[in-house]
Amino acid sequence: MARVILVFNKKVIKEYPFSKDSMTIGRDEANEIVIDNLAVSSHHARIDKTGGIYILTDLQSTNGTFANDKKITSYKLQHKDKITIGKHLLFFAMSKQEQAKAKEAELDKTMILDTAQQKELLEKQAEKKAKDVSAQQGKMGVISFIDGSGGGEIPLTKKLTKIGKAETSEIRLGGLFMPPTAATISRRPNGYAITPITKKTKVKVNNEVIKESHYLKDFDTIEIGSYKCQFYHQESQNEK
Amino acid sequence: MKISAAGLSDVGLKRETNEDFLAMDNSTNLYIVADGMGGHLAGEVASKVAVKIVQKNVNNWINKNSPLTEIFDFPDMTLSQRGNYLSSSIKLANRVIYEMSQEYTEYKGMGTTIVILAVMPSTIIAANVGDSRIYLIRGDSMEPLSKEHSMVAEQLEMGLISKEEAETSPLRHILTRNLGSSETVDADVFEIEHIDNDRFLLCTDGLTDLVSDNEILNIIKNGNDPEHICQQLISEANKRGGNDNITVSLISVNKESDEKRGIIKKFHTFLKNKK
Repeated sequence: MARVILVFNKKVIKEYPFSKDSMTIGRDEANEIVIDNLAVSSHHARIDKTGGIYILTDLQSTNGTFANDKKITSYKLQHKDKITIGKHLLFFAMSKQEQAKAKEAELDKTMILDTAQQKELLEKQAEKKAKDVSAQQGKMGVISFIDGSGGGEIPLTKKLTKIGKAETSEIRLGGLFMPPTAATISRRPNGYAITPITKKTKVKVNNEVIKESHYLKDFDTIEIGSYKCQFYHQESQNEK
Repeated sequence: MKISAAGLSDVGLKRETNEDFLAMDNSTNLYIVADGMGGHLAGEVASKVAVKIVQKNVNNWINKNSPLTEIFDFPDMTLSQRGNYLSSSIKLANRVIYEMSQEYTEYKGMGTTIVILAVMPSTIIAANVGDSRIYLIRGDSMEPLSKEHSMVAEQLEMGLISKEEAETSPLRHILTRNLGSSETVDADVFEIEHIDNDRFLLCTDGLTDLVSDNEILNIIKNGNDPEHICQQLISEANKRGGNDNITVSLISVNKESDEKRGIIKKFHTFLKNKK
């Protein structure tokens, strides 16, 4: 069984055997390893056991978590590693069998981390950053018509939105020369992209004719035939 | 529309068994790659079971044109009917593998990734769980059509670590989603309109761990025959150590033949030849 040894001022304070799948470290009484010091956040860091390996993760603490004097976000612990939290040191020790097992796990093996445990971990980490970073990831795109055609605002709820005359189009446009599908907007891993479908009907983004897929940014104007609309991201309401 | 596809799976140089599994179905234009994990033979079982279940159910639903009320689990209204078939078949495969791993001790802890590409008359649908990937190669650029469900990818997306840190992180093989580890799973599904000469690459991490995106793109750009490209990709990964099983499948979609028929086509080829 692995152990964590808490040291302060060169004195061993306590030894914690690793009996569960994870151990949390912090000032709060609810943690497995409680360090009552103002330099330590209430939920500072945690160690998870997955497969044969142990992972140390900083829970976005104020003063950071250090492994062998290097600041870490997440880190794979090895035998005899030194963890620094505030002025406290934690030494990580594995049993012989575990060292062997960890070595075996080393060989680029893919492992799965328990999802519930991992989600909680990532959420905690991201709490502070989530607001500004990846802000657009979960947001839904909206097409807003600005040509007075009365098209209004259409949220892009589908993964693939077809724009054109066809009845199956998510955004239906009229007009004599409008093809069944003039363009599509697809939601891809990197964002929303618009693709012109026929050569006859020109699709313009910010006044330039596009021939291939084009990633949309907030407030890009799109022209399809005589229609003009704008793209933007909406604050997510029911999106995950 | 003409589709030419090839796929190859290689054990690599370090492993004794191949836990990857590959299926190509040219009648329904369904292409699947899975990368199994778990001791002894469990990884091989997981990837094979996943691919077979997806294939069987999707084909069955296509044949019956099943309404969304008849598929497994709740439909996702952001997706087309075929998109729902893919997503639902993945959920079903997950449940089966999960139950097998609970039931039999020899399958305990088994799981698999999966990537699926379905080519429709005007669109393609890409679905994935885990860290196997689908790329779209269009013109001179390549972009992912899959989301990587690994701890490192999620940390990168949240902005907690940099791209450089992600590439060298010792945690890059830790998945946050796969088939078999929990009772339910959600796949990431993308639908896009394809254009002439689009190419799609399905691959496992045995390739992407060793060969960079740019290098993959170069091999594909300079190649023509899908099978030859697959061979080149595998030998490149093996040249660099072949640490893991390597599976690749390349699907090339040509639409030109639809558009120019009869006299127009003749005229077009006439012009081309003149040039």
